[in-house]
Amino acid sequence: MHVRPILSILVLLALVVTACGNQGSSSAPSTAASVAESAAPSASAAESMNPEAVIHDVEEGAELTFWTFYLSPTFDDYIKGTIDRFEATYPGVTVKWEDHQATFLDDYRNAINAGTQPDVANLSNNEGWVREFAEAGRLLNLSENLPQEVQDQYFPNLFMDSVVDGASYQVPWYQAIPVEIVNTAIFDDAGVSVDDFPTSFDGIPDLCQTIKDATGKLCDVRLTVNDYLAQMTYEGGVDVMNADGTAFTFDSQDAVDWLQTYVDMVAAGTVDRSALTTADDRVALELFTSGQAPFYQTGPQLIREVKDSNPDLYQQLAIAPFPVGRSGVIQPTSQGIAVKADTQYPNAAMALAAFFTNPISQLEFAQQVAIYPSTPAAYDDPFFSETPELVEDSARPLAHDLIEQEQNILPSIPNKADVNDIVRQAVEQAIFNGADPQQVLSDAVAQANALL
Amino acid sequence: MVALGRLLPGRRGRLAPTEARHGSRLTPYLFLAPALILVAIFVFYPIASVIYYSFTDYDIITPAEWTGLDNYARLLGDPTFWKALTNSIIYLIATPILIVLSITLAIVVNRQLRGIHIFRALYYVPAVSGSIAIGISWRWLFDRNGFINSLLVSIGILKEPVAWLAEPDFILPIAIMLTVWAGIGYYAVIFLAGLQNVPEELYDAAEIDGANSFQKHWHVSLPALRPQIVFVAVISSLAALKVFDEIYVLTNRTGGILDAGVTVVFYLWRQAFVLSNAGYASAIAIALLVVTLAFSIVYVRTLERRLETD
Repeated sequence: MHVRPILSILVLLALVVTACGNQGSSSAPSTAASVAESAAPSASAAESMNPEAVIHDVEEGAELTFWTFYLSPTFDDYIKGTIDRFEATYPGVTVKWEDHQATFLDDYRNAINAGTQPDVANLSNNEGWVREFAEAGRLLNLSENLPQEVQDQYFPNLFMDSVVDGASYQVPWYQAIPVEIVNTAIFDDAGVSVDDFPTSFDGIPDLCQTIKDATGKLCDVRLTVNDYLAQMTYEGGVDVMNADGTAFTFDSQDAVDWLQTYVDMVAAGTVDRSALTTADDRVALELFTSGQAPFYQTGPQLIREVKDSNPDLYQQLAIAPFPVGRSGVIQPTSQGIAVKADTQYPNAAMALAAFFTNPISQLEFAQQVAIYPSTPAAYDDPFFSETPELVEDSARPLAHDLIEQEQNILPSIPNKADVNDIVRQAVEQAIFNGADPQQVLSDAVAQANALL
Repeated sequence: MVALGRLLPGRRGRLAPTEARHGSRLTPYLFLAPALILVAIFVFYPIASVIYYSFTDYDIITPAEWTGLDNYARLLGDPTFWKALTNSIIYLIATPILIVLSITLAIVVNRQLRGIHIFRALYYVPAVSGSIAIGISWRWLFDRNGFINSLLVSIGILKEPVAWLAEPDFILPIAIMLTVWAGIGYYAVIFLAGLQNVPEELYDAAEIDGANSFQKHWHVSLPALRPQIVFVAVISSLAALKVFDEIYVLTNRTGGILDAGVTVVFYLWRQAFVLSNAGYASAIAIALLVVTLAFSIVYVRTLERRLETD
């Protein structure tokens, strides 16, 4: 009997499979950065008239799991303090908090698969997470279950940010206001004034050309590789689907014009190709932070990273308003808080979601970092009307009005990830392989429609 | 070894022949059981699951739906899969480079020179460094504002910096270079162990026959290292076919422009965890398993046959 070859094959099989298995074995919640378990509060802390106690009939003895996204360790004190206040408001309810970071989405999916989905979770709206899990029936319908007076405390456009079948499955939490942070040293070298920063997307290619010609520096602009359809919609004014949602239409003249803009910028060599196609906004932020890029679109809250990493550059920073795309509207960027559809404690879970997003909690958060609340009432505090001293706070007095104008005009996209991958390939073929924009987009529409 | 039964109270004399045979047959399996249970749970059960899911439409968060051979049919017509497979096969070029450089390094550090232990340790450092950390360092090296561009521009080879990792033609070669660089130290240790088992007399005899330094290694060291070469060839080829970390880090999770750096395992990961097509990803995993297994069997048999012939 040929024992040796058989043994060799078995060993090889084990090697291959073990290695293959390694790639996807990240069981939830492997990347939990911190866990805070809180003790049960004393009953005396109960305040039936507490204005923050907005949910009634909260389940006695409820034990909630709560996941946040990328907030630990910087905001540990804030999160733990808010949980303590929540537990004092709703005596007998305890919260187990975990912060998940780069693997949040994998962890959340794995948790659903393993039956350990957290009762309450911080899900991003504009990354499409809320819609993904709501469409899969994993989130609680808050339009139906959350008291109307609680729903009314949010900006309506933010509460209805990720609508599925007309209903909201999240309450909006904090958000950034998109701005352009400008390296004034490069602008000065290029002879460009920050005041002349383009107010619309159409002005960006000429600005990049001017800066490259004068300084050799390349623009740090990004394609939203995980959501091309959103970028087309807002930046290019493209209707990506027909009105009844039965066919994709992102091969229109608007779409071709949008793609041609990038084709031309890459051909002119005015944009940094690494930043253009990265899936990680940190790469583009690092490029700006290193002092090599003239400007970068981000939220003011990330200016603290420039301050920490490159204090000299921080001294030269200026803020320019975000240039509006051809759609004429700005996409909301709010983080949401969602509740597990079949949670054992729906009232307690909704209470926690409402508590973290109420004006008091959000004002306190905004005072720690340049984020903006989703509740108009939070802006009544003088904090938002004071003249800001720091560059990262310069958008603060304008925040309320800007947020009010934000609009989610992107329709719900079936098979979104697959469609996005089809569009990604088309865009790359046009930009980097010389393919005809009209042709690649029409081919992509045909492929995407085949998935419907 | 004393049979367990003999130590039990109430037993007198020898065990009955059938009982003894039964006990001795069972003993090895009992010893094997703990490991076997672990292997069954962590290796064979996942294999069986992956085989099952490869016949389903499964997105991790909703129950799998049986779709028969649909995933395999899709695989055959998926140009990105074939591109990924081609890239993985191209990646095999790392194996001969690794073998040649590792043997060379092993020969160099196999000398009794002052401070040679420090060099041996230094060459091994990449093997004990995390692949992600190494990948990030290399990303910085090849960044548009990185060291490689600074060097090439300063000595006049380049007029202006190149975004190496954003050029489809460079992604795979850079990833292969990274794999080779990170692997040399590890494989050199294996060859070094082999070299230290070569009897000194063989080198003396070769020297008496007039062999120069190169000829001594060609005619003595290399034949002596054949078992190690077979081993390194197999495990480094398997590693090359399954490469993931390098591509993931160097391309920032994108696989590179025009999918230039997408390998089969990267594509599998993208389908499972970016696109949530776990059923299709399972079919890719099974295809990879078949390719790797077939490749390994042919490889091992060919090398063993050559060894036996020699």
